[in-house]
Amino acid sequence: MAEYNSEYAVEMRHISKVYPNGVAANQDVDLCVRKGEIHALMGENGAGKSTLMKMLFGLEQPTSGEIIVNGEKVNLTSPTVAIAHGIGMVHQHFMLVPSLTVAENMVLGMVPKKNGVLIDYAKAVEITKEYSEKFNLEVDPDAKVMDIPVGMKQKVEILKALVRGAKILILDEPTAVLTTQETSELFKELVNLKKQGYTIIFISHKLNEIMQITDRLSVLRGGKFMGVRETKDVTPQEISRLMVGRDVVLTVEKDQAKPTDTVLSVRDLEYVNEYGKTMVNKLSFDVRKGEILGIAGVEGNGQKELVDILFQFATAGGGSVTVNGENILGLNQAQIREKGVALIPEDRMLYGIAGDASIEENLISDRCGKKELNSGLMFNMKKIHQMSKQLIEDYIILCKSAEQKVGMLSGGNIQKVVVAREFSSNPQLIIADQPTRGIDVGATEFIRKKLVELSRSGIAVLLISADLNEVMELSDSLIVMHGGRIAGYFEDASKLDDEMMGEYMLGLKRQSEEEIRRVCHE
Amino acid sequence: MSKKASLRFSILRGFVAILISLFIASILIFISAEGGSFGEKLSSTGEALVYLIVRPILNGKGAFSVKSLTDILACMIPTIFTGLATCVMFSANQFNLGAEGGIMLGAFVSALVAIYVPMGTGIHMVVAVLAGAVSVAVMMLIPGILKAKLDVSEMVCSLMLNYVVMYAIKFMMNTYFADKTKGQVQSLPFEKTALVPQLINNGSKLTWGFILALIFVALTALFMYRTRWGYAIRMIGINRDFAKYSGMKVAAIIVASQVIGGVLAGLGGGVEMLGRNEFYSWSALPGYGWTGITIACIAGNNPILVPLAAFFIAYLDKGCNLMATYCGIPAQLIDIIQAVIFLFFAAEQFLSGYRQKLVVRSAQQELREKEGQK
Ligand SMILES: Nc1ncnc2c1ncn2[C@@H]1O[C@H](COP(=O)(O)OP(=O)(O)OP(=O)(O)O)[C@@H](O)[C@H]1O
Ligand SMILES: [Mg+2]
Repeated sequence: MAEYNSEYAVEMRHISKVYPNGVAANQDVDLCVRKGEIHALMGENGAGKSTLMKMLFGLEQPTSGEIIVNGEKVNLTSPTVAIAHGIGMVHQHFMLVPSLTVAENMVLGMVPKKNGVLIDYAKAVEITKEYSEKFNLEVDPDAKVMDIPVGMKQKVEILKALVRGAKILILDEPTAVLTTQETSELFKELVNLKKQGYTIIFISHKLNEIMQITDRLSVLRGGKFMGVRETKDVTPQEISRLMVGRDVVLTVEKDQAKPTDTVLSVRDLEYVNEYGKTMVNKLSFDVRKGEILGIAGVEGNGQKELVDILFQFATAGGGSVTVNGENILGLNQAQIREKGVALIPEDRMLYGIAGDASIEENLISDRCGKKELNSGLMFNMKKIHQMSKQLIEDYIILCKSAEQKVGMLSGGNIQKVVVAREFSSNPQLIIADQPTRGIDVGATEFIRKKLVELSRSGIAVLLISADLNEVMELSDSLIVMHGGRIAGYFEDASKLDDEMMGEYMLGLKRQSEEEIRRVCHE
Repeated sequence: MSKKASLRFSILRGFVAILISLFIASILIFISAEGGSFGEKLSSTGEALVYLIVRPILNGKGAFSVKSLTDILACMIPTIFTGLATCVMFSANQFNLGAEGGIMLGAFVSALVAIYVPMGTGIHMVVAVLAGAVSVAVMMLIPGILKAKLDVSEMVCSLMLNYVVMYAIKFMMNTYFADKTKGQVQSLPFEKTALVPQLINNGSKLTWGFILALIFVALTALFMYRTRWGYAIRMIGINRDFAKYSGMKVAAIIVASQVIGGVLAGLGGGVEMLGRNEFYSWSALPGYGWTGITIACIAGNNPILVPLAAFFIAYLDKGCNLMATYCGIPAQLIDIIQAVIFLFFAAEQFLSGYRQKLVVRSAQQELREKEGQK
């Protein structure tokens, strides 16, 4: 159909979207993506990026506007239709079935059959391996999805879209969960795909990534289209002004830590997973009041297992863990929280929230039995409203009201709900596992500041992040994990550089036992 | 969309749902109606519809009758209780179907107390009903604990339990408690002191149990939405891992939700038995528990809506019965008609397109107003 410009792979014209709850998530948005380019979609949390992409993938229907794919006007009534038009999407939150293996997930909905009836599992594994090699995205076809680290889940999601024959690939914050190395690997593949003629729409909150691999970028603010730019002609300042309306500084000012008593003390911790692999190997370290101890490392080197053990989602095979001198191994979550431990979990959708409950209900989950929120047998609704209103204000959670369902918030705002609850739980120890995952620059700045503030007020903070910049910048001291052990302890995180860290993270280098022992402040 | 507009839409939607389902029902009735000619069929269809729609609250002469209305209200007493019980259990994502056996057990135990444990007026009734409630609470410990400790499906367990309870009661009635002077299997008469007093003495058996049911609607709603326990029940129902991570005592609350469901079902059994009967004679599951499940589904597990749903079902039931009795509509067709009406009522997507239009319009207006302010 010649009436449309065939230079574009995707044209979205005058798109508006009003959700059933009345939120106008997109207002008259224009998005034009050229064939064979990597196009960034940027905007703050709740700007409407995911919404726009869901419409392109047929998951949501636009209230008005038209969508043109490869010069042909289309009506994308469902993902099946979108896939038929060669569109694939990797969602912000995982869409995998946890109890199935990677290979099974890969072929979901297009299962290869033996003799036309039986599921051909071997074929599924073969397909997985073939694509995994072709696109250089390494996954383990036989592992159950619930057992693999998030980094690998992300790769499975990308492969899934590719297996379905996508030529236009939507990636909604794919790097939020990846380590620096994984990200640069992924970028190599994206550039590779681009060379092969794939068109990629890429959502990320990280400016450096955008500058690095995209050709053009479009910006949304508050559901409105702010403009499109050639990436090479634009400065970070201009982008942030388009996105936020002001300049954002990401470096957090922090004064010297003055650590005092030990709060968290881990000794000789061991964990063997169900396949008999030692994931945590005689791990010992301390976190003291007033300091932020960062854990860096390539995902899958025991960080996930460590956090799981600390919060009793997994049972340690040996060793001890104490908080303020009291044992917490074997306690349940209620008791652990009573000891003053707060956790920002890695996967917010799994543990962090109840999607169908309101924001308010999600904010009180850990303190619903506390005196200050109850009067006698009943909830003190006035106090509860007051508290949630305050938290929504303090943490700038973008919503219509506290009664809105959390599941309807944008990804970043869901994260803010979790952070707001955990930070305000009056903790002694905060375990922050990827605390700024999926959060826009402005809010990241805010959360990092808050974390530093909390630590300076005498709280112990254990920070785990796949974002190397984040751990290096925020931590006072830092340990690098490799193979379930500490490969290095650095008392002053500000004196580190990427390269040196890399060597420890990949296990090329290891400090002596004495040097590592310094992390136990006895 | 504002709350008011939302409510207006819900009412409109319910109304349209009923109209459409009535239309479909009329077609079905027409097909099976008596009479040869088209005209005859049409008039008997009209007649049947009158029985379905307005007759339930009229008397034999066709005038409005308080008795007919109170008959319907009286039917709601046990189903409000089972509806509430199911609401609580389903809110915790516990698909416990034991309200059926529960109401029978509650009725049976209350009956025994009413017969064999003499006490003063008033207190006797209270103790009898409470004894029924406690017995069902104990019964629900079984699926509750099995679920919490061993992850046994509460659905299968409670379903089977219903029949265990039923046959156990039948056995005990036959062997120990039957009044041997009577032709059928029935117990000795209840002591007068244990009877639930009538609210209106017009023979429709509308007892104070109705008021009690409404009080429990309010209590259950308060419990579910205004206390930490009800809150925990709902959170566990939405995301169990979240509840666990938040530090709620998941296993205990899973058990508690089913025990509370048991208490409610047991109360319903006692109140129904001691209000409507003079002796115990149920030999099969009474069906109130199944109805309670339908009610909870229509009410969306919201206790406040349970009386409305219960009324709707009681009315429909009576209308269908009248239709079957007086118009010769086959019983199977009645079931179909009832199902059609439910379907339309419960279909969530029904009219959602129209709703979306309303939402868009009001959102656009809001946006314009905001622009205007700037
Ligand atoms: N299913 C839904 N129902 C109602 N409102 C929704 C729904 N999904 C998103 N919204 C609302 O639409 C707006 C845009 O959300 P969207 O998820 O598109 O943001 P986003 O740009 O992807 O943000 P983030 O960077 O946080 O992921 C938000 O205000 C959000 O609350
Ligand atoms: Mg998003």
